Amino acid sequence: MKKIYIASAISALIFASCKPSVNITTPPSAGNTDLRNYLAIGANMTAGYADSSLYVSSQFASIPKRLYDRFTLVTGVTGAKTSFIQPYLKTDNGFNYASDLTRVPKKVLSWVRHCNGDSSLSPIYYPGGYNLSDADYFTSPGANGQVNNIGVPGMRVADLPVAGYSSTLNMYAKRFFVGSSTTPMDELSYRVRNLEPTFFTLWLGFEDVLGFALAGGQGDGSMNAAVATGTTNYYNTNDITPATVFKTQYEAAVQVAISRGSQGILINLPDIERLPFFTALPIKGLYIPRQTLADSLTAMYAGYRYTFSLGYNNYIVKTHTGVLRQAVDGELLLMSCPIDSILCAGWGSTRPIPQEYVITTEELQNIRSATVIYNNFIRDMALRYNLPLSDMNTFMRTMSSSVVFNGITYNAQYLSGGSFSLDGVHPNPRGNALIANNIIGTINNFYKSSIPLMDANNYAGVLFP
Amino acid sequence: MNKSILAALCLFSAATCQAGVHKLYVQGIRQLAMGGTGTAWQWDASTIYSNPAGLARLKNLQAYGSVSHIYQADAYGNSLTSESSQAQVLRPINVYFGGTVKKDGNLGLGIGVYSPYSQAIQWDDNWTGRYLVQSYQMSTLFIQPTVAYKFCDEVSVGAGFVIATGVFDYRYALPVQNATGQDAKAQLHSNASGVGFNLGVQVKVSDRVQLGATYRSQVNMEMGGGSANFTVPNTLKPLYPNTRFDGLMPMPQVFSLGVGFKPLNNEKLTMQFDLNYTGWNSYDSLRLNFAQHTTSIEDLHSPRKYRNTLSTHLGANYKVGKVLSLMAGAAYEPTPVTDGYVAPDMPDADRVMFSCGASVHPLHRFTILAALQYNTSMKRRAATYNFANFNGTYLSQTFTPGIGLYYNF
Repeated sequence: MKKIYIASAISALIFASCKPSVNITTPPSAGNTDLRNYLAIGANMTAGYADSSLYVSSQFASIPKRLYDRFTLVTGVTGAKTSFIQPYLKTDNGFNYASDLTRVPKKVLSWVRHCNGDSSLSPIYYPGGYNLSDADYFTSPGANGQVNNIGVPGMRVADLPVAGYSSTLNMYAKRFFVGSSTTPMDELSYRVRNLEPTFFTLWLGFEDVLGFALAGGQGDGSMNAAVATGTTNYYNTNDITPATVFKTQYEAAVQVAISRGSQGILINLPDIERLPFFTALPIKGLYIPRQTLADSLTAMYAGYRYTFSLGYNNYIVKTHTGVLRQAVDGELLLMSCPIDSILCAGWGSTRPIPQEYVITTEELQNIRSATVIYNNFIRDMALRYNLPLSDMNTFMRTMSSSVVFNGITYNAQYLSGGSFSLDGVHPNPRGNALIANNIIGTINNFYKSSIPLMDANNYAGVLFP
Repeated sequence: MNKSILAALCLFSAATCQAGVHKLYVQGIRQLAMGGTGTAWQWDASTIYSNPAGLARLKNLQAYGSVSHIYQADAYGNSLTSESSQAQVLRPINVYFGGTVKKDGNLGLGIGVYSPYSQAIQWDDNWTGRYLVQSYQMSTLFIQPTVAYKFCDEVSVGAGFVIATGVFDYRYALPVQNATGQDAKAQLHSNASGVGFNLGVQVKVSDRVQLGATYRSQVNMEMGGGSANFTVPNTLKPLYPNTRFDGLMPMPQVFSLGVGFKPLNNEKLTMQFDLNYTGWNSYDSLRLNFAQHTTSIEDLHSPRKYRNTLSTHLGANYKVGKVLSLMAGAAYEPTPVTDGYVAPDMPDADRVMFSCGASVHPLHRFTILAALQYNTSMKRRAATYNFANFNGTYLSQTFTPGIGLYYNF
């Protein structure tokens, strides 16, 4: 036996000296671009908004931060040099305003007991509450007040020319905009002059459609909306931004972004209808377990000639104009619709689901055409200004059906899909990393660079209690 | 077969008792030293494995025992990361007893216990491929009662019945995280068993040339009622109930042809050349079927699409004197793993092997054997596992010393 041990000790020694290793060294390069100084321009996705709020770790997981981390791997003169400063909040509690303008923290997952006694995993406000210090003005620790990520959650292309935007209209803008009476376009212009970026990402336009969708299509979706009463150039957040306004302001933003010779990339709009917020609750969700119930509903809606049958039926809803009707296939029920009202208050069956929770076929058409018109324009801008276009519309379409990455299959199923945060609209850190990888792919292709991708699975996905 | 003996043997060979598998060459120490050859020549009782027909050519009864130490390590790299698996030690044992019943008789009887296949790999729990595999182990132990008959000096045949046992253990991370971001885990464990046979023929062409052929049947290792345990966040427990699973792991059929000859005008040098054709294509996919299904637990089905391989083996034995012989060998083994199906539980590539060894005959009836084998894969660059979109470069190496001894009755 002793012999065996000696033999194994010797061979272990020999083996340790020839343990295999694999090193693949493709030196990252910036190719034809220059990553020294990166400025991220945009709104929700840029700022790192997730779980219905902005909070410190969501900002650390933002898409621009992910991109910057990769840019730093590029060595040499065109690699990332300066630090990447984001206007961080102070806590991880999250800070936002609910629709009724009460202050709220971020959302977290929890077991929620419903009115009918069932429980389900649902998002609730973070039990620790919000922290008022998160509304404090952000003072950059960098030289010259440097801020690299100027993404403002909720900011639309339509908001770019609105004077005083940061003082009253957007608390996130208020946290770091330099002037309170100036416009977001002025702020952009100031940041470009201040930072002299060599590279930028510009992801704007999503919020110009999103507000209409989140409000259940309760605004003007015709793309001919009028300015809000009492204002000269402000559009209600529930409206879809008129195409003329969008085009003028978007092009102006691109011109400002490149005004100091910066290169960069434009990112287009994903399809809103594929986001979990709009798919989590099926419109055909009215479950009728007994024929007598079906019969009594059919009798109740005899005047409308709706018939109900055993199993799943389309909900009874109110349309945009307040007319009661049964929903048709393809219409969308928003995740914001209170489940308890459906379960116990007869919403969708004996009473219609209010219009602010439903996107009807017409409203869906508004959303689709706006997305197409905006995206066509963004593509034109990319061509005109010789910038690459990150086709996020196509990528997030793939991501919503399935993207396989190192053994994980991601899709846009709420919670189980793994890539979206609890608000169902914005990606979680893993989704951000998948998106950042796709953007890097486009950058590498266009600028002949070789910026390495990241292991998306190394970041947080949906966290279950 | 006595179950407690089986269990004891399994325990003794500890790490051995381990789907993708590697073919091992440790069933005989001399064969290990001679590049995995041995189909044409009966050296000792380990011929029960390498060619049952050789059993009728042994001059007497023999007891044979050996142990080897397989140090296996794998490395993975992509443009972002470079990782090494933790070196695995397998310690397969072999025991053979048998030979001609009457001294120089025509009838050979024997029994062998050996490990023909095994695979063990353990990556870091947090490595980049953790959702595919954290650790994976499949070990086998075959028990083979054998009978052989020598019709004349020129021709002998042999046949063995194989009772196979094995252990399967597979751990991987589940893509759900708890509140602190830790991955959930799946842990699958099962015993496996199967039956098969081993046939051989040996032809003595002259005093200096022998030919041999063997056919080892496929052995389907069935896993029944294995335990599947899931460690998940509390809220997800209803979706991940601990359950049982079944599965089947085919150990491939092998057809071998060999020639052994003495090229010099004396008894000193023996050379052997073997070809092994292995029916790996029986391993079409790793399929594990769970007893209970939920929206989160579906049967596991990962495609492998192995291809058949033809490996080439060369070995030599040089008798230095009455007491000492020296052996050396080399082999080339193409990988059964095809492009697009390189999974990190068995990241294989074409392999080369070099080996050497010695046998010492210090006392009447006693022989001691020692061998050393180095086995390395070629670097498998840009290897892909399309099923899971998992890509990278792999390199695996094993280093195998072994010792054995036998006693002639």
